[in-house]
Amino acid sequence: MNGFNFLRRVAAILAGALIMNAALAAEAPPVGVKIPAHQRFVLPNGLTIILVPKKDVPLIAFSGFVRGGALADPADKPGVASLVAGLLDRGAGKRSAFEFADAVEGVGGSFNAGAGAESISVSGQFLARDRALLIELLSDALMRPRFDADEFAKYRDRQIEFIKSAKDSDPSQLLPTYGRALLFAAHPYGRPQGGSERSLAAITQADVAGYHASRFGADKATLVFAGDLDAKWMKQALTKAFGSWAKSKATLPELKPAPRVSGRRVVLIDAPDSVQTYFWLGNVGVDRRYSGRPALDLVNTLYGGRFTSILNTELRIKSGLSYSAGSAFVRGTVPGQFEIDSYTQTETTDKALDLTLQTLEKLKHDALEPAMLESARAYVLGQYPLRLETAAHWANALADLEFYGLGKEYIEGYGPALGRVDLAETAAVTADAFPRPTDLLIVLIGDASKIREMAARYGPVTEMKLSQPDFVPSSK
Amino acid sequence: MSKLPFVASTCLFLSFGAASSAAAAPATTSPATRVPGADQVHSTTLANGMKVIVWTDRDIPNVALYNWVRVGSRNEVPGITGLAHFFEHMMFNGTSKRQPGEFDRQMEARGGANNAFTSNDVTVYQDWVPRSALDLVFELESDRLANLSFDPQVVESERGVVYSERRLRTEDSNEGFLFEQVQATAFVAHPYQIPTIGWPADIQSWKLEDLQKFFKTNYAPNNCTLILVGDVSADEAFAMAKKYLEPIPRQEPPPPVRTTEPEQLGEKRVNVQRNAQTPLMYLAYKSPAANDPQGPAINLLVSILTEGDSSRLHRLLVEEKKLAIEVGGSFQEGFDPGLTWLTVTMPEGADAAAVEKVLDAALAQVVSQGVTEAELVRARNLYASSFWKQIATINGKASLLGSFEVFEGDYRKLFDSPAAYEKVTREDVQKAAALVFQRNRRTVGVLTSPPEKPAAPVPAATAEARP
Repeated sequence: MNGFNFLRRVAAILAGALIMNAALAAEAPPVGVKIPAHQRFVLPNGLTIILVPKKDVPLIAFSGFVRGGALADPADKPGVASLVAGLLDRGAGKRSAFEFADAVEGVGGSFNAGAGAESISVSGQFLARDRALLIELLSDALMRPRFDADEFAKYRDRQIEFIKSAKDSDPSQLLPTYGRALLFAAHPYGRPQGGSERSLAAITQADVAGYHASRFGADKATLVFAGDLDAKWMKQALTKAFGSWAKSKATLPELKPAPRVSGRRVVLIDAPDSVQTYFWLGNVGVDRRYSGRPALDLVNTLYGGRFTSILNTELRIKSGLSYSAGSAFVRGTVPGQFEIDSYTQTETTDKALDLTLQTLEKLKHDALEPAMLESARAYVLGQYPLRLETAAHWANALADLEFYGLGKEYIEGYGPALGRVDLAETAAVTADAFPRPTDLLIVLIGDASKIREMAARYGPVTEMKLSQPDFVPSSK
Repeated sequence: MSKLPFVASTCLFLSFGAASSAAAAPATTSPATRVPGADQVHSTTLANGMKVIVWTDRDIPNVALYNWVRVGSRNEVPGITGLAHFFEHMMFNGTSKRQPGEFDRQMEARGGANNAFTSNDVTVYQDWVPRSALDLVFELESDRLANLSFDPQVVESERGVVYSERRLRTEDSNEGFLFEQVQATAFVAHPYQIPTIGWPADIQSWKLEDLQKFFKTNYAPNNCTLILVGDVSADEAFAMAKKYLEPIPRQEPPPPVRTTEPEQLGEKRVNVQRNAQTPLMYLAYKSPAANDPQGPAINLLVSILTEGDSSRLHRLLVEEKKLAIEVGGSFQEGFDPGLTWLTVTMPEGADAAAVEKVLDAALAQVVSQGVTEAELVRARNLYASSFWKQIATINGKASLLGSFEVFEGDYRKLFDSPAAYEKVTREDVQKAAALVFQRNRRTVGVLTSPPEKPAAPVPAATAEARP
């Protein structure tokens, strides 16, 4: 949260990890930007390395991943990968947790690691002159983390407290976690990527060390470096530092698409002190390779991806019911969720939900106006360069391509593809990828004593409490 | 899931906006001349008093255009608290030439996006547009400064939007709620006591006439500073500014804020009882204004204490004593003397008094013994890398130029600041600690759950002064 400044709006919700292509002017035909010149090579142990020289500021950014993440968590212990990620730099190689942090921060560097649905990712930036230290620290963190007992216990206990703290001060940030857990259920995408209070408490140091021993390996990893770098020096130093990294011993579970849900149901999460209802509506959507991606990005921009979107117009601009409303498609190797989220004061919960469902009905039913399509096209083309501006942006973008096995066409062909989208395509993806308003999971966080009856209007209701230690109603 | 409860943009720009050439770097060139493109910054002042600053950067075909208006909740009085922020919302809601909503529709249809924020001190309007939409953006900015109008119906619906923002950030947030209580308690006279979002009763009752008066008083072109960074030359930008903005007549500038905060002569405490799984403790120390010469030393001090896992207080409270799950800090820099914050999030069932005792001993140690050379170098290096990260984007450059021009009086100080941070010594940091960490000049806020069965109804918040 932001204690001093009050913003006009929260950051626009855009389709997850959109990587967009270049065009010079909104009116001109889209002209593709090129991915910057880079080197890609694979070490004998299977580690993929990409180097992108970009010398505008004296920094080197890195972005990388090791396949696995929540997908590789034991089904009954979500959160193991997340603890592994968090502990990578809390003691590694010859350094204790403090020594590692001091080594990074002492030179003004940064090192972040986290678990997602299908990988553990690492990222950060160092001043260019500290390139040798960066490689030493990164190789220690990935190959030689210590997982000391005391650090493990401390870190795990803090993660449990952070979930409680989020419930105290920003319950809305947990909506997607509840939404995915309830929508995907036993599918790996349903696992809370950071674990739940209950699952974290059950995880042991052995679980964490075991995950690293079996799931980490050079053949499952990619590292991208971008910035003020000398590719020849980097290649040599990286080959030396990572050449001895063994391959991973385990095969990752296969991901199968989860089925879309039919009909509507409601999960009401009781937060008795809340003066607002935070709501999320979703269903299974599309994957990363979805062929209608350019058209879908344009339709979602119009529906819930920018300030004047249909959703924000109805819930905020015209009615004043909410400070913000948006929608997004989260796209993985298999389809992730389409989601809508917003909030409103407790008393107007039904009004806001009715309006939300009406906008979806209207989207599914009515054809887009040609002028709307043109506006969305100009907007997506006009805003994408801001997301591919820095070395860190390019490191992330190239790691993303590598992860999903997408060609450079995914970035370089995107602008021209946006330029070609017509109303027939937008109609097709709207019919195909957006759920019908009658096929939705609805999650509400709010004061159940005041909204219980309203909630029942939208489907059969299951209740749970915000204070429960899991993200699903009945604990296993 | 790390949280930074009090990262404020204006504060960030200043706190993290200064570079120092690190100890290891050769000192052959001055840090200022090493900022790429620094010679590409040009400024002019229009006949109506509006200053325009342009930094050409053709890396991407976009332009960031920021309008910094010198008005914030500091310029409010009881009855109209929150009005500066509400007004910021109304700046998007119609002019005598355009219907409400047209501003956004036209900008987005040409590939542009925008936002705005309000703080204690300033209101900043931000547009990010493709180069091709620059003409339109100037016309839109000019129109709302010259012809803003208020539709009573839109005023009512926007009131609901702002109240929803307040519920999100304050009423449904223990962090936001405690922050508001501590800030309001820390000042007895100065308007920094006013929450920027506004008190609920004022949000519900401000009137159309309040908005009209506020506009006339504060939105004089001579009270605004325009920043452009990106794919635009200074000549192009100045020509457009002359065409679209110069015709707006100069006005009487807003009256200065007269009230100064009297010296605080004893610790104040505010206890808030709200259901909380993780109790909170926020400490706010009276501190100098943004342009104080000790600013760089205070920023480095706060960084040494709270930035990163190797910072002093994190190490002590989170890692060693396990009394906290998170520690934060910030020097809240404004036009007038303000606050330096230390924030502690505690685990469930924690003993706030024990945390305070450990914290007090640690702060006393900094005051009596200072910091180490390694700690100082670390803080300088963290500044340097933050500086470069900001310089890497047109957005970051526009933020830096604006904050230095508005808060330090001259955007060129941005390029001098590396030297200013370089000059800070361990003695300076110790002096800053002695200045800031005075018990008699602090406000301590603690948020905990109410007792299981209160004997009598407990008020939401109580404040008391303790000598």
